[in-house]
Amino acid sequence: MAKVELHEIEERLNFWGFPHEHWHLGTIGNFPLDLNPRTIIVTWITMILVALFAVAATRNMDMKRPNKLQVMIEMIYDFVKGLVHDQIHDPVKAMSFLGIALTYFIFILFSNLLGLVPTLTSPTADLNTTVGLAICTFILFQYYGIRYRGGKHFKHYLEPYWFFLPINIVEDLSKPVTLSFRLYGNIYAGEVLILVILGLLPVVVDFAGGFIVPVVWLAYSIFVGCIQAFIFTMLSIVYVGQKVAEDH
Amino acid sequence: MLEFNATLLAQIFHFVVLLIFLRVVAYKPIARLLKERQDYIANNVAAAEEERAQAEKLKQQYLADLQKAREEAQGILAQATRAAELQAQDIIAAAKEEANRVKESALADIQREREKAVRELREQVAALSVLVAGKIIGRTITPEIQSQLVYDFIKEAGDLPC
Repeated sequence: MAKVELHEIEERLNFWGFPHEHWHLGTIGNFPLDLNPRTIIVTWITMILVALFAVAATRNMDMKRPNKLQVMIEMIYDFVKGLVHDQIHDPVKAMSFLGIALTYFIFILFSNLLGLVPTLTSPTADLNTTVGLAICTFILFQYYGIRYRGGKHFKHYLEPYWFFLPINIVEDLSKPVTLSFRLYGNIYAGEVLILVILGLLPVVVDFAGGFIVPVVWLAYSIFVGCIQAFIFTMLSIVYVGQKVAEDH
Repeated sequence: MLEFNATLLAQIFHFVVLLIFLRVVAYKPIARLLKERQDYIANNVAAAEEERAQAEKLKQQYLADLQKAREEAQGILAQATRAAELQAQDIIAAAKEEANRVKESALADIQREREKAVRELREQVAALSVLVAGKIIGRTITPEIQSQLVYDFIKEAGDLPC
């Protein structure tokens, strides 16, 4: 019963008329190419916002007198750069991963915050997005391991003894799973809770101060969104750092 | 939204697109700008260091100059003091000499006056003696005899302390 109500509330909040049917792009073999329209559209919005932010911040950059946006993007850049350099000690390897880590951080941050805009949802509230990003991390740390350590990367799965192989494989496979479900759970739960609060409180209560509850939750969601973006970026950096570390 | 479908692939694709876009548009300019700023600050710091070193050198030089000037002044002062002392001694010596000279001349004058007085006294004594002798003897003697007598007398008298 609660599920039905949630769907109803969601339907009432579907201000932009996002289609419910999957976009069907055809079939490859037995795999249907279906897209979640809502997720795809909010992802595009996120991408456009990120692009606008990046262009606005890096246009007319001044070395001596930075404007506000420039200071902001420089702070993010320095912050992520510090994280990467803390985990990956070789400057060349660190710089090669810096762009990816920065994109993780900015993209996930914008995605999480976009869900706080009424009538929109986060791209990261869809498991497809978070799993996609986590698979990127998985591919990346495998790639970095092979590129910088070669055969030792695979030999590592047999250490300390050969029968540790399944454990090591599970360990590596669990990384993207935990990454994606952590992010998805936090953001999706935040949005569901917003819906629940809205569903619990009749509109009349809003005028009597009932708006305070969802506003407090929104403020907390901003915090959660930033923290989750940070955690995802940080853990990705740590995983890659483990794979490129020489003494491991 | 819990079932997986092609959205996953689309999201990976979106992420890669965003990554490439940001790399070109944002990260490269930012990295370049930060590098520029780092270089700028490093240059400034180096220039400041150099200027500080130069200032230090100048300061040392000025201090040395000052020290030298002070020593010179000291030297000049000492020299002047010595010269003044010498001059003072000269003046004192000259004054002493002058005083001695004045004293000498005064003494000479006194001596001369005394001799003159003595001579006058002798002449008067001689005349008086002649007068007295003439009175006593009652006769007039020739001036030659008289002179001879007087002279003898005076000679005797002159050997007396007077």
